[in-house]
Amino acid sequence: MKILASWLREFVDVAVPPEELGQALSMRGFELASVDRPSSIVDRPSSIVGQPSGSDAVLDFEITANRPDALSVLGLARETATIYSTPLRYLATNGGPLALKALEKKEAIGVAVTLEAPDLCPRYAAAVVDVTVGPSPAWLASRLQAAGVRPVNNVVDVTNYVLLEIGQPMHAFDLARLAGSALRIRRATKGETIRTLDGTDRVLTPDMLVIADAEKTQAVAGVMGGGHSEVSAATKTVVLESACFNPKSVRLTSKRLGLKTEASARFERGADIGAPVNGLERAAALLEEIGAGRVRAGCIDRYPSPADARRLVLRRARLARVLGQAVPDSDVERILSSLGFAPATHQDGWSITVPTFRVDVSREIDLVEEVGRHYGYDRLPATFPALDSLPGRPDARIARDRVVRRVLLAAGLSEALTFTFIDAPMAAHFSDGSAIVPIGNPLSAQFAVLRPSLLPGLLTAVAHNRHRQRQDVRLFEIGSRVTRAGESRGVALAWIGEAGMSHWSGARRNADFFDVKGVVEGIGEALQTTFTFKADHLPPYLQQGRAAVVLANARPAGSVGMLSSAIMAAAGLAANEDIYVAELDLDAIEGARDATPLTVKPLPRYPSIARDISIVVDSTLPAETVRGTIRLSAPGTLVTIREFDRYQGKGVPDGRVSLSLRLTFRSSERTLTDAEVDAAMKAILGALHDAHNAVQR
Amino acid sequence: MTDADIAQLRTEFQQELARVASESDLQAIRDKYLGRKSGAVTALMKAVSTAPADLKPVLGKLANELKQELEALLAEKKALLGASKAPVGAVDISLPGRTPPIGHQHPLTIVREQIEGIFTRMGYQVLEGPEVEDDYHNFEALNMPAEHPARDMQDTLYLDGEIPGQGRPATLLRTHTSPMQIRYMETHQPPVRIIVPGKVYRRDDLDLTHTPMFQQVEGLVVGERITLADLKGTLTTFLHELFENRTQVLFRPSFFPYTEPSVEVFIGCVFCGAKGCPVCKRTGWLEILGSGMVHPRVFEAVGYDPERYTGFAFGVGIERVALLKYGVDDIRLFYENDLRFLEQFPL
Repeated sequence: MKILASWLREFVDVAVPPEELGQALSMRGFELASVDRPSSIVDRPSSIVGQPSGSDAVLDFEITANRPDALSVLGLARETATIYSTPLRYLATNGGPLALKALEKKEAIGVAVTLEAPDLCPRYAAAVVDVTVGPSPAWLASRLQAAGVRPVNNVVDVTNYVLLEIGQPMHAFDLARLAGSALRIRRATKGETIRTLDGTDRVLTPDMLVIADAEKTQAVAGVMGGGHSEVSAATKTVVLESACFNPKSVRLTSKRLGLKTEASARFERGADIGAPVNGLERAAALLEEIGAGRVRAGCIDRYPSPADARRLVLRRARLARVLGQAVPDSDVERILSSLGFAPATHQDGWSITVPTFRVDVSREIDLVEEVGRHYGYDRLPATFPALDSLPGRPDARIARDRVVRRVLLAAGLSEALTFTFIDAPMAAHFSDGSAIVPIGNPLSAQFAVLRPSLLPGLLTAVAHNRHRQRQDVRLFEIGSRVTRAGESRGVALAWIGEAGMSHWSGARRNADFFDVKGVVEGIGEALQTTFTFKADHLPPYLQQGRAAVVLANARPAGSVGMLSSAIMAAAGLAANEDIYVAELDLDAIEGARDATPLTVKPLPRYPSIARDISIVVDSTLPAETVRGTIRLSAPGTLVTIREFDRYQGKGVPDGRVSLSLRLTFRSSERTLTDAEVDAAMKAILGALHDAHNAVQR
Repeated sequence: MTDADIAQLRTEFQQELARVASESDLQAIRDKYLGRKSGAVTALMKAVSTAPADLKPVLGKLANELKQELEALLAEKKALLGASKAPVGAVDISLPGRTPPIGHQHPLTIVREQIEGIFTRMGYQVLEGPEVEDDYHNFEALNMPAEHPARDMQDTLYLDGEIPGQGRPATLLRTHTSPMQIRYMETHQPPVRIIVPGKVYRRDDLDLTHTPMFQQVEGLVVGERITLADLKGTLTTFLHELFENRTQVLFRPSFFPYTEPSVEVFIGCVFCGAKGCPVCKRTGWLEILGSGMVHPRVFEAVGYDPERYTGFAFGVGIERVALLKYGVDDIRLFYENDLRFLEQFPL
């Protein structure tokens, strides 16, 4: 809302610099966006304000949605008067620059008004003016321009002037163009069309309110007039409309037509039902002041169910209880009276009549805000709420995510954050099409669907770094995924390039399957969950032979492995490089967690004996199977089996592999003898030979 | 023999000494100048003895000084050579060490945890809520019925269809963390003292100051004696803790449908020291928080008695805090995941 300081000063006599005035209003909830000092302002000759030339300014305020009354010079003047404890000058029928021309209510003014939809238009007032259409005086045009409104002609300009000044939207119809000299306030008929003032043909629906003549629609109520009855140079007589339309109806219509106007912005927030006749009287006075026309005696005022003034009680104790401090009665009364409320004494505080322009004030708490706002939040004490019970435990997911994050940071991966929405083709690589949830009103194709997996976002981040000469990229993300099944929390990681940290002392090694598998195992350990890895039911985006599905408690919990080369290209990465990824469903793991409280096992009292063996077996034989055979044939004193070498090449036949394992034996009751361990080893080697044709090297 | 001869000898010695790189070089130069038999200085000393009697004392003094000077220089060089010889097994300690491969936390996580830490100290419970929401929890229960103009303040991203949600089917991406106020109050009785960090979504294009996804921390305190003064004290303390200085804090009336009175909170501009600059639009203040007293209609929606209970709520943008704390001038950097950016934040 742009207003001219000199215009505001017609209503309130405050002689502070415009910047200071703007800041003061800002502190009352009307955010000052800017102060401009255009050189082209033309002073109003008859102004009651001694406006030093050149000191005028345009103040631009952001008005919050709850304050349609402040979308006017008068509304902001009222706030200003309250801030500075100065009287507000009212529009009155006693002449001068704030004059109203009194209009008696009278039917015979030359136009027939029928209010057919009082539910969408609770009040409709109209007057008839014989006009001489021409340009507006410079001062009036200049005030409109300062407010960002383009001057058109003196008649239209006056309607816009009244809208800006007191917040009452108005419209002028060329009476000669109204069939039957009639105005019908009715719902549109199905398929009815109108060419609005902006030259666009618009199709209306029966839930929209229109102003029609005896034959057809002449305006979309509260939104925009029609071209047919537009005021033109040839216009001799106009019908001035000053009405109050239903906010929801105007909002829906404006939204549906994609048409926002100064009028619709005010109606959809709630117009002052008390203002329509005032608007006519003000317009009549202005038209006569600038010599644009003469109003015919009388006006029509269709107001079938006059609303009772709203009355609220503001309790002194409640005010203090919400604000945290009592406000002196004199301040309460001064503030509310100045804002246009009528406070009367009440046993608990005040009984208050709410002015019709304050559509936002409907209960006691709204009055508390009015008092608090003008009393000043800076005058309230700063206290702490008393803590009277122990707060509950934090969401378990927060602690869990923190553990996972710690493991990944320690493993050398940095934390990424990517958008929850991705492009549809990328998503399709990571989920069934039927499971993907598209955004109904996406911003762009880049953000078209909700991510079924964290990996697409991570791959984009990897590519971003790769395209900036960063060869080694290790990233992870913890976040939500969304599919038709709902929302779930996951963690994913992507690893390309060097496995460790590059150092002058050694050769580099690129990350492989076992690097990412190790990190996944680390997460499992940190979350007290044992993962198992299976090579079947692999997701299609992973490379067969270098990937595994992760199971927690025998239920799928994610996957790990090399990304298939088809996806590499889609992600903007070179297809001949290896990128290893993993993704885990943290919610699924949560369910598989071992909840047993930790108890420390006593340290072994007796020494252990370790034996290394190297066996040659088929290269396709899984290490897990070898371990199983050893376990079955070993005594209970075998505590660990660890693979420490795997070799294929010279000395090992084709299709076979040399596997070296370290077996550690220990008893909790006594020191084991070499003879016992030798016997155990003999049994183990025998079993390996029988089961896998294993030959000792 | 003259003074000039002595000076020349000194210059020659200095030049040769500069070229000495080893113990053997050093011995050779010592022999050449100070050797008993053929040393140049030794020869000079001998020459002095045959000089005319009147010149003898002067030349003798000069020759002696030269000899002492050379011996001192040789000793110095010897020490220098000895020092550069490394002991057995020594390493070049100036070479880089093997850094453990520790990753970097995302700056938004750092800020989020900092905020959680401050409120945890003040006795708040930290909770999370769903990111896909239903209209009731995101809007209606927060005093934003359908067609409420305030819905324009938060342009919403809707799902194509419904998916399973919590309690009701989810139809949209939450536009703020406030739905968790409703979810918590629906299932708990006062007193309430919670914060809810999490991602929120708006239909905003990506630019220097906007991202369609960002993070907030919501706060809610409800009890029988909660006041606007408590809101002031709590948020002032929070901001002092967060910005690690006694930043100025300003409370200004505003409008949110779910609070009444509504209060916007500003801090003194961190870029200009509250003097006024383009970032703060010359006001000296930067908006940092939205807050207010819980609207009685919100209490009514969750079945709390608004006569008995009062409360305050607030929301702070994590990106906004991070931008101000770290002097980041482009919000998109938080979501590009450029390692050159991420690695600037502590491990």
